[in-house]
Amino acid sequence: MFDILFIGLSLSSILLLVALGLAVTYGAMGIINMAHGEMVMLGAYVAVLANIWLGANLLLAIPLAFVVTGALGYAMERMVVRRLYGRLLDTLLATWGIAILLQQAIRLEFGLVFFGLHVEGLGAGLQNVPVPGFLQATLTVFGQELNTYRLFIVAVTVVLTVLTWHVLYRTALGMKVRAIIRNPQMAAACGIDVRQTNSITFALGSGLAGVAGVLMAGFRSVSPDMGATMVVDGFMVVVTGGVGSLLGTVAAAGILGEINALTAITFNEITGRAAVLLVVILVILLKPAGLFSFKGR
Amino acid sequence: MAELSRNYRVWAYLIFFAAILALPLVGDEFWLNRVAKYLCYGMLGAAIALTWGYAGVLNLGQGLFFGLGAYSMAMSLKLSSHTSLQQGSDKPIPDFMLWNAQPGAAPDLCCITPGSWLWLPFQSQWFGVAMAIVLPVVVATILGKIIFGQRISGVFVSIISLALVLLARLVLVDAQPITNGFNGLTDLGFLQVFGAEIDPYAVSTYYIIAVILIVVLVLVRLLVATRSGLVLQATRDSQTRALYLGYDVPAYQTFFFTVSAAMSGLAGMLYVLVAEFASPSFLDLAFSVSMVVWAAVGGRGSILGACVGAILINTIEAKVSEVEQLVEAWKAIIGLIFVLAVIFLPQGLAGFAHDVMRRIRERRQPAPTLNRELRQ
Repeated sequence: MFDILFIGLSLSSILLLVALGLAVTYGAMGIINMAHGEMVMLGAYVAVLANIWLGANLLLAIPLAFVVTGALGYAMERMVVRRLYGRLLDTLLATWGIAILLQQAIRLEFGLVFFGLHVEGLGAGLQNVPVPGFLQATLTVFGQELNTYRLFIVAVTVVLTVLTWHVLYRTALGMKVRAIIRNPQMAAACGIDVRQTNSITFALGSGLAGVAGVLMAGFRSVSPDMGATMVVDGFMVVVTGGVGSLLGTVAAAGILGEINALTAITFNEITGRAAVLLVVILVILLKPAGLFSFKGR
Repeated sequence: MAELSRNYRVWAYLIFFAAILALPLVGDEFWLNRVAKYLCYGMLGAAIALTWGYAGVLNLGQGLFFGLGAYSMAMSLKLSSHTSLQQGSDKPIPDFMLWNAQPGAAPDLCCITPGSWLWLPFQSQWFGVAMAIVLPVVVATILGKIIFGQRISGVFVSIISLALVLLARLVLVDAQPITNGFNGLTDLGFLQVFGAEIDPYAVSTYYIIAVILIVVLVLVRLLVATRSGLVLQATRDSQTRALYLGYDVPAYQTFFFTVSAAMSGLAGMLYVLVAEFASPSFLDLAFSVSMVVWAAVGGRGSILGACVGAILINTIEAKVSEVEQLVEAWKAIIGLIFVLAVIFLPQGLAGFAHDVMRRIRERRQPAPTLNRELRQ
């Protein structure tokens, strides 16, 4: 039982890693960023490239990925998303287009294939990143063998969640973001630079996705289309948890991850996934505002 | 102004109809078969425009209805194929069921694999044809009743429909003994209509599909111009206001959601007739999203625009895909077009055409237009 719960916990932490960035962008800005999964994918590719070209290991790739995807997110907000505030469904569509562009950029190696050039680490194929030796061991706790890398993911997720919470609830930036979540017009009237704050928030959310990507590169193969399913999962977590509620997102990730693990082990992988989808549909039908939501907006 | 713009809209429809009916004059049968598939996609585009443009409901799982229609038809056609008829039983049995048969099960459609009895009524081809419409309608009605009855709107409808189509795809692939899982249904027979066979590569088949598309487009266009169509647009613009004016908003939304589902089911059925297969890829999220792309580029607010958008994009895609190196580049171009269309052409090509026509007209007779608008 304990090992199943542990697998559920590591599934939850991956869900949460992906959802954390989405919770920030969707909650604060009302933007459905379908390119979020591609930010995860790009984070994973940063890990791949850093390993091949710089010889850097996974730990070093984490800050690097945060900076790269954060900067990209910032640019994206400035160039595209900014024009679409208030048109929720259109943000979904435009960011979907960006997602395809990013995927193809990796597949076509930023267009270099047309000139017969090949960059090692890019392209349509699968890539793998070696995990540093000290993360490959197994640890024995209560007579159960635990994979250290899974423990590492859980630990990083906890740290990132706490950091996000700190930024949102204990800094001046977080205060502005929360004001914008509650009422953008009123926030602007109080002198908050909504546009500037939104750009930074978007960059922050994208950076978090990049870190998630690096961690994922450690236990699965990296490919240009790895992000596509992830954004759906992440989005479901955010919606289930309740928009704009960090606690809700954490709880929803925990619940969905455990449900997935329990049903997948009792029945099979497909049932596990189906159970998660079913729970999400039921939650939206019965409690459209999400499990944990505040009144407002 | 109103009459003029209506006139021009009628002309746009007529030109489109004439164009698709005239195509057999210029192309060979192989090419026509391909265009017939795009006409089915066109119907899908129109279905998206109906819910998205007119009801403000973005369905990201339209592939579910398309898939239901396609599979219903394909099941019937599978049973009438030669391989199914020659399995040494008095009833036809699909070949994959024999491979998946329970050990010791009688080679009969009723019980060869668990759930294979579901196929029994599909021995009648008309049952398959009917189910291709009935199933999407039933599913959409139940879904609409629940979703719209709960006053769920906007993104949440999109997320539910998206989750549903993913769920349906999982179930479909998992139910290998009755659906042939990943492989889908291939090696299909022909539909028999009053003694004649529907041959996918016949010109007459192309005409059947073209005429059905024309009829559907006209009916839908008339439908949105009726009173209920106007109420629907009112609910799109302000749901609360429509509710306070006493309209049963969920009923209108459910009705049009169902019409759109029926169109998609019909499109799926026709698609199977010309493409001769049904596969789980119909329920891929990517396919459902491409439908939205077609509608967005063609014009979400225009039934005809979305239909033309679907046909246009697919035709260009087919042309580009002939060059192997361009296949991946084309996807990137689609992504870019999409971003640009959403930002700069929110009403798509149809909106663009509309603006151009209005500009021209205003330049020709500026004063009267102004006067009439002032009087209104």
